[in-house]
Amino acid sequence: MDALSGLAMGFSVMLTPANLYYCFLGSLIGTMVGVLPGLGPLAALALLLPVTFTLSPIAGLAMLAAIFYGAMYGGSTTSILVNIPGEAASVITCLDGHQMALQGRAGAALGMAALGSFIAGTLSLVVLTFFAPVLAAIAIRFGPPENFGLMALGLVCTLFMITGSKLKGLLMIALGFLLSSVGMDMVNGNERFTFGITNLTAGVELLSVVIGLFGISEILLNVERIVQNTLVAERIRKLLPTWSDWKASFAPILRGSGLGFILGIVPGGGPITASFMSYAIERRIAREPERFGKGAIEGVAGPESANNAAVAGSMIPLLSLGIPSNPITALLLGALIIQGIQPGPLFISQRPDLFWGVVAAMYIGNVMLLVLNLPLIGLWVQMLRIPYRFLFPVIVLLAMVGTYSANKNVFDIWVMLGFGILGWLLRKLEYDIAPFVLAFVLAPLLEQSLRQSMTMSVDGAMILFQRPVSAGLVAASLLLLVLMVIRQFKTKRGDS
Amino acid sequence: MKRHSLKVLAGLLLSAGLATPALAADPAVAKLKPKDFPNQPIEYTVVYPAGGGMDVTARLLAKYVEKVSGDKVLVNNRTGGGGMVGHTWLATQAKNDGYTVGVVANLLWGDAILRAQGKWSLADLEPIGYINSDALIWLVQGDGALKGKSLKEIMQIAKDKPNTIRIATVPGTMWEYLVEQLEANTGAKFLRVPFQGGGAGINALAGGNVDLAQGFVAEFRGLAEAGKVAPVAVAASARLPHMKNLPTFNEQLGAKEYTWQVVRYAVVPKGTAADRKAYLSAAISTAMKDAELIAEYSKAGVFFDDALMKSTNVARDINAYAESERAFYLKTGRVK
Amino acid sequence: MVERLLNLFWILLGSGAAWHAWTLGLRGPSGPESGLFPFIASCAIAALGLALMLARGSRVTRPDWPDAISGLRAVGVAIGIALMAFGMDRIGFVAAAAIAMPVLLRTIDRASWLETALLTTGSIAAIVLIFGRLLGMPLPRGPWGW
Repeated sequence: MDALSGLAMGFSVMLTPANLYYCFLGSLIGTMVGVLPGLGPLAALALLLPVTFTLSPIAGLAMLAAIFYGAMYGGSTTSILVNIPGEAASVITCLDGHQMALQGRAGAALGMAALGSFIAGTLSLVVLTFFAPVLAAIAIRFGPPENFGLMALGLVCTLFMITGSKLKGLLMIALGFLLSSVGMDMVNGNERFTFGITNLTAGVELLSVVIGLFGISEILLNVERIVQNTLVAERIRKLLPTWSDWKASFAPILRGSGLGFILGIVPGGGPITASFMSYAIERRIAREPERFGKGAIEGVAGPESANNAAVAGSMIPLLSLGIPSNPITALLLGALIIQGIQPGPLFISQRPDLFWGVVAAMYIGNVMLLVLNLPLIGLWVQMLRIPYRFLFPVIVLLAMVGTYSANKNVFDIWVMLGFGILGWLLRKLEYDIAPFVLAFVLAPLLEQSLRQSMTMSVDGAMILFQRPVSAGLVAASLLLLVLMVIRQFKTKRGDS
Repeated sequence: MKRHSLKVLAGLLLSAGLATPALAADPAVAKLKPKDFPNQPIEYTVVYPAGGGMDVTARLLAKYVEKVSGDKVLVNNRTGGGGMVGHTWLATQAKNDGYTVGVVANLLWGDAILRAQGKWSLADLEPIGYINSDALIWLVQGDGALKGKSLKEIMQIAKDKPNTIRIATVPGTMWEYLVEQLEANTGAKFLRVPFQGGGAGINALAGGNVDLAQGFVAEFRGLAEAGKVAPVAVAASARLPHMKNLPTFNEQLGAKEYTWQVVRYAVVPKGTAADRKAYLSAAISTAMKDAELIAEYSKAGVFFDDALMKSTNVARDINAYAESERAFYLKTGRVK
Repeated sequence: MVERLLNLFWILLGSGAAWHAWTLGLRGPSGPESGLFPFIASCAIAALGLALMLARGSRVTRPDWPDAISGLRAVGVAIGIALMAFGMDRIGFVAAAAIAMPVLLRTIDRASWLETALLTTGSIAAIVLIFGRLLGMPLPRGPWGW
């Protein structure tokens, strides 16, 4: 069955009132999940999984996939409005998105996030429609050496993200590395840096770190000066992006889509890494990188597109091979198995109705989310008018419950508080905290891939260069690193 | 249609947490129901991530336990540390008021014996029902160098050319113990590539990054049907009922000790009131007799250990299995 | 002053962590052991802390420290969160939030008693509804069963 007739079948399956209804419900819940700080798509999907038992497989899958997408759409809302990430993949949107809000351009930021997400989501679905099996076959060959190459490239990208003092930025990266090693060593099961505390055996929860470091520190900083009543004193200008916004964002959206899509397919990538790398790349190739961090719309358009494209990317190994590339798709796999369906390479030929139905559901979901989110911009923007003294306690409460939802462990709230205080201090002393988060996310995978690669090969680390893809990625990382160092010295010499 | 969807929306909104009117519960279970229990949802704790084999088992069980008891059951994942975090929570922090049931596997024993470091032990968790078993199966690539070879031939290659066959293992678990056992008994040497879970190893196999992987039927069935991977042998005491053509390790190697299976069962924290424990236990065993559940489990490729299914004292029999694992640890010097 | 303390903290943290990582083992039979990556990271932290201590240029000239009143507000937020974390498991979510929310509302920026009561009950109810009912994630209950 070729792609177009398959897609036609998928749409005919999806365009029934019941299935559309569940797709819409999922979009609604997903948006809400994205907006609520701390509650992420993984926790929400795990909580709602039982609901899908009573539904038909396609309705259940459409709903779950819509929640996944919706969270990516909704996550940027709180990032932009109150500088508190809705979930880990929206952290980077805080940097420029909130600055835009403070300048009275919240509407443009929210609008570009939604539109960029829609374009990226749809584009990546088109690629999925025609190339899924081919891409899956390539993705499966991504072994530990290739993973290492990719993570190394991502790590070099963190260096691009450092604003301000390079020394402080590097220290944040090193700290991210160190903190990510707390817990069990993935490779041999040894406990590292846990000091007998059971709650640390699983490591430090990413969500607590992100919400604390960005969200709680933001609140701590803001309450110091409740001089102005509301967050945004400026008159809120236009609600939608302007033509010049579009001109600036067009290329970042396309780049973000491509990058996110690729990172979604490979194991170890995913929306978080995609959004960070997109930001780093946009900053690197911008003609005026100083604008980033001060309200550059590219810093919103790129990452938001990337994290949506990553969703479609991660569906490829799931649907074409039955292989999950991240915990969320693992959960979708579980949902399929419980429904009695066995995904695998034969899924597309055995159940074309389901395969194409899910693809159609994702197209429809993207449209629904756009339609849902655009009008809501007016509503969200009004939120900025609420006196801060009412707003922040509610946000704190939501953040705590959201963080708690990850592991149902109160320890995570303490971690959130601790990182909130640390974040407050670091921001006062002008440390850049974004590189910390990316290092924290990448380091475990980097380490695991390297050690697996060395175990797999007889030549130790040389395996990285013996395989074409990993050799290319590692070479690219080294090249970028060298270029960066040279540039650094040039500017230093230029100054003196 | 509209009414149906409204009903479902209402159901969705009123679902969890609300005391649902008791559906017609199975009489055998209903008669054991203690007074005033349960008046809130019961948590089935799974120590592995949502969507995985253990999670699917627990959710299917929960679905049928709800059916036979009329109580609300919520599956909760407490993940981390390869299961260690959840096991520790169950043994040390979970309240023994009957509202927490752990759906665990015998991987718990390794954590309890080797890694608990005195903070808790197997005695802190009491088995209340057997669910199912799954046996570890060795896989090769569908069209790789080891295609079509029997286990005996593979072991011979591993002996003649040590460290050339890459096998995916999960450190600190039976995935590793099996390889270790084979190496110790036959003198073969494999190149062990560590992964976080069996599934990751199977994915690596499908991509040609390792030569051998180990896993359960549910994890590789899709790939096997498409010919990407092929099973070689199963580490069970007898051939699996649904895979009669697959030889066992013991057959191929003329031995008796190569049985590594996952035994899934339910536990409650020590000290749970006897009447609540009996009620929870009855709910599980009644659910386990439901033909639909057995069919769903069988589709997932698990099998049912005869001895445990017919056991009159599940706790005693499961603990007996645990003791034999402890003997393995003593023999291999992992425990003094 | 504070920045110097922080740099000292980095040096101490890095050194301590490096020592712990050393005890985990740096190299094993098949390449890096558990301790290698943390060791490198900790050494980097200590070295960078030292560099920051020595380099004048990267120090913040006049950090925007809060005055006493503003600072107390931030401390108040931290206390509110701590109360919540402390109480959630012991007295249940509803009771802990019922205490923490007024602390946040009244002490940080004086909201009236009416506003406090409304906002507290409203947000607690909304959260119990969304998380407890809609999403099916039961929040911890206190010893009184709610």
